[in-house]
Amino acid sequence: MSFLQYLINGISIGAVYAIIALGYTMVYGIAKMLNFAHGDVIMVGAYISFSATNYLGVPAVLSIFIAMAVCTILGIIIEGLAYKPLRGTSSLAVLITAIGVSYFLQNAAQLIWGATPKNFTSIVTSAPISLFGGQLTITGEVIITIVASAVIMLALHFFTTKTKIGKAMRAVSEDRDAAQLMGINVNRTISTTFAIGSALAAIAGVLLCSTVPTLQPTTGSMPGIRAFTAAVFGGIGSIPGAMLGGILLGVIETFSKAYLSSQFSDAIVFLVLIIVLLVKPAGLLGKQVQEKV
Amino acid sequence: MSTILSVEDMHVYYGAIHAVKGVSFDVGEGEIVALIGANGAGKSTILKTVSGLLHPRSGNVIFDGKNISHTDAHKLVRHGLAHVPEGRRIFLQMTVQDNLEMGAFTQKDVSKEDLERMFTLFPRLKERRKQIAGTLSGGEQQMLAMSRALMSHPKLLMLDEPSMGLAPILVDQIFDIIQELHDAGTTILLVEQNASKALQIADRAYVLETGSITLSGTGAELAVSDEVRKAYLGG
Ligand SMILES: Nc1ncnc2c1ncn2[C@@H]1O[C@H](COP(=O)(O)OP(=O)(O)O)[C@@H](O)[C@H]1O
Ligand SMILES: [Mg+2]
Repeated sequence: MSFLQYLINGISIGAVYAIIALGYTMVYGIAKMLNFAHGDVIMVGAYISFSATNYLGVPAVLSIFIAMAVCTILGIIIEGLAYKPLRGTSSLAVLITAIGVSYFLQNAAQLIWGATPKNFTSIVTSAPISLFGGQLTITGEVIITIVASAVIMLALHFFTTKTKIGKAMRAVSEDRDAAQLMGINVNRTISTTFAIGSALAAIAGVLLCSTVPTLQPTTGSMPGIRAFTAAVFGGIGSIPGAMLGGILLGVIETFSKAYLSSQFSDAIVFLVLIIVLLVKPAGLLGKQVQEKV
Repeated sequence: MSTILSVEDMHVYYGAIHAVKGVSFDVGEGEIVALIGANGAGKSTILKTVSGLLHPRSGNVIFDGKNISHTDAHKLVRHGLAHVPEGRRIFLQMTVQDNLEMGAFTQKDVSKEDLERMFTLFPRLKERRKQIAGTLSGGEQQMLAMSRALMSHPKLLMLDEPSMGLAPILVDQIFDIIQELHDAGTTILLVEQNASKALQIADRAYVLETGSITLSGTGAELAVSDEVRKAYLGG
């Protein structure tokens, strides 16, 4: 029964990684850049939700929407101020800028909220469900996280395959110049992608801190790196890949902690990543890039 | 006949590379104008600069009475400019239908009449509308690229090497369609390495050599000119 328990917990934490990984993968697909500051947007989202509930007395559910709104604006500002001026320059310059933005957000959070960790109150109030005479416990957080990630996945799928703006996003990600020749405003599309990714990061931040309640300026770093790994694992640029990669990564991490070693769980995760990339360089669901002649 | 496009002493650079060196030409409403020249002469660069993907360092591009030299590509589609780039550049991972819808991005909605118009012009596409564009043959991809561009109701259609890489029978088909579009009143700026084909259907043509126009005239005049025959028509 503990196997099932680990599996469910693994899927739950993996679902959080998946939501974060969606942000990485969508931005990569469209702007062809790795937004290393994405993990820190999660942290900002959690702090906003925390502040709204603890200092302003806003109900938990409403605080999520406030966090999403703030992170959406933050995402648009980051893209417009830090990345947009570098469009068309070397990807190294963009990468270094992204790392700079990451430190900036962490330091800003430390200035605003202090370095002492906050104890995040879970947004879920329902009691855990106990099954098989207490052998299996499913917390409300686990259920909400899994449901939320499934809804997000379906919504994104609908958005990118059925709506005009969503299709335009896919067009930009496939061929930026050709998309411009259709009359698609590439800058606006990239900005929209950052907005969506950042709103998802806010949700991820609240879900993450509801499960792991220690909130500090570095809270987003490790989940950010793991989610990035998940995006690569699933095939960077692929939305279903990010989902699959995130969940697999959460499960592998949880199993390694349970059965192998809690200290080396990250090392094991990366070992699996390396093996996957050796066998399938584009990731699990990544599109094998065809060489253009 | 009024002029729809006029390019005046245009210079275009890629960094330090001077790719287009003071080119001037114009296209009148309803005409087919061909730009011919060897690989690397600067033909694609000229089209990209007209459509706003690139901008000239000096000189002007006047389209439909407006100076568009520094207007971005996505805005020009609304003004009535359509550019079918070299290599077709359709969205390979999207369906045929989605590609056509992207072509109509600037329209309020994708009208049934427009889709039907494309399917009448290119019946092959109708059968394949649900298919992923990457699975189409080269000729079908070119047809999709052309119909995608036509979805925006352009005042000027620019085609960059539409016959490239196609089997001779398909080349003939593509040129028949260009002729058909012309007969229906579409204004076309055609870039081709296949000079003989291009000169056959062009009202007027310009010969481009390493970034400069060296000859111009009607299609028929150029087709019999010694210089053109030697350099581009194999003697
Ligand atoms: N992206 C680019 N960067 C640098 N040089 C380029 C680029 N694209 C084209 N060129 C150069 O500009 C010149 C004209 O190229 P192009 O317009 O593609 O010619 P054509 O279409 O007539 O074959 C060539 O010398 C080519 O090497
Ligand atoms: Mg060319």
